[in-house]
Amino acid sequence: MLACWKSLLLGCGLLFAMAHSQAADGLLELPPLQTAVTDLTQTLSADEQAALNQKLSQFSQQSGSQVAVLLVPSTQPEEISQFGIRLAEAWKIGREKQDDGVIIIVAKNDRKMRIEVGYGLEGAIPDAIAKRIISEQIAPAFKQGQFYQGLNLATDSLIKLIQGEQLPAPTKKQRQPHADDWLSMLPILMFAAIIGGAIFKGMLGDFPGSLVTGGLLGGLAGWLGATALIMGFIGLAAFVFTLAMGGRGGAGTYGPYPGGLGGYSGGSRGPDIFSGGGGGFGGGGASGDW
Amino acid sequence: MRRLFNLLLLVTSLSLTGCGYNQFQSLDEETKANWSEVLNQYQRRADLVPNLVSTVKGYASHEEKVLTEVTAARAKVGSMQVTPELLNDPEAFAKFQAAQGQLTSALSRLMVVSENYPNLKADASFRDLQAQLEGTENRVTVARNRYIEAVKQYNVAVRSFPNNLTAMMFGYQAKPSFTVENEKAISTAPKVDFGDNK
Repeated sequence: MLACWKSLLLGCGLLFAMAHSQAADGLLELPPLQTAVTDLTQTLSADEQAALNQKLSQFSQQSGSQVAVLLVPSTQPEEISQFGIRLAEAWKIGREKQDDGVIIIVAKNDRKMRIEVGYGLEGAIPDAIAKRIISEQIAPAFKQGQFYQGLNLATDSLIKLIQGEQLPAPTKKQRQPHADDWLSMLPILMFAAIIGGAIFKGMLGDFPGSLVTGGLLGGLAGWLGATALIMGFIGLAAFVFTLAMGGRGGAGTYGPYPGGLGGYSGGSRGPDIFSGGGGGFGGGGASGDW
Repeated sequence: MRRLFNLLLLVTSLSLTGCGYNQFQSLDEETKANWSEVLNQYQRRADLVPNLVSTVKGYASHEEKVLTEVTAARAKVGSMQVTPELLNDPEAFAKFQAAQGQLTSALSRLMVVSENYPNLKADASFRDLQAQLEGTENRVTVARNRYIEAVKQYNVAVRSFPNNLTAMMFGYQAKPSFTVENEKAISTAPKVDFGDNK
């Protein structure tokens, strides 16, 4: 019976994973986000890149909003707008709740560019304004081959516009891993409680065995990204569950076992590592050419 | 007896969480949310039309055919009753799509015609409207793609074993999705007429 459920569970997990995986065939591979400015065309000199990078990372640290720049040779076979949204969904520039990210994409050989605006900034940078930045600031500079000047002007304007928007101050706290992971693992945890509970109870006796099971499971949930409160809850639930499972009924014992440690991942972020904070995009912004 | 009860409890809870029920809930909500986003963006586009028409009229009032086409398509879209039930009624869904498609092609014809009027093209408010329309069309595309993706995930979840047993038990059915018509093919540019009416 249990084995049957185990295989069913595995099957479900596999199917879920399958539904989530996508093949990107024939499309340009998305470059990883490491610095605020990513130049795959060798257009900008090292000094220019460093200057832009410094400006943008500084802005990101001061305000919490993020502006990133990407130069690619071409986005073919996709339109720049298709490529833009795909990139934005992968990079997740901006903060998770504020969705305050902007990406400037330049496809050099296509002579096309796009400003991709996150949900939270669609008010600060309306499409019409984004279009003006492209046609009045970027395009004239690009026409003369002055790529750095164009990008410099455009990022200045974008930063000004974002600063005009009332957004919450940046938080120094590390972003926690997704708290949904442990939720989807709940059935697995229950399963582990039964198996582990049976083993530990056999080894250590009813009460201590249940206690160990609860503690271990709390720790496991924490490792999967649950908060301390939920970890404690899961540990307690597993403890009670294990105790109640067969044998004598537990007499309402309180399991003061807070579960294991964990729940946080990643150390402090270095000043030169630029990564997205989970911002969402919905196709706002503007495209243009030069 | 107690052991049996525990086992039963375990089996039902496992089968609901592990094998679909909760997944249906979240995916169902996901498709609904994505659908309202689609409507949202279509609405945004419809709201742009009156301004756009009046701006173009100011420079190209004799392009009546195109202007009335856009206005009529906009009126048709506006008169449609869009209820959540629309999603489960393929016929109404197709009608809705056709009306939106007509507006899409009417708008793109309007834009093509506008190319012939340098003064209109230089008008700042027209340029802004054009940028807004482009942005909105792009948002519609993104919203539609996300809806299609969400429906795909929902349908995969509902149809795959062993979730389909849960789906049958609770009456969850696969949802219809957009047939991504080639709207570009409908919106062929009109012949530019260099006759004596210019």
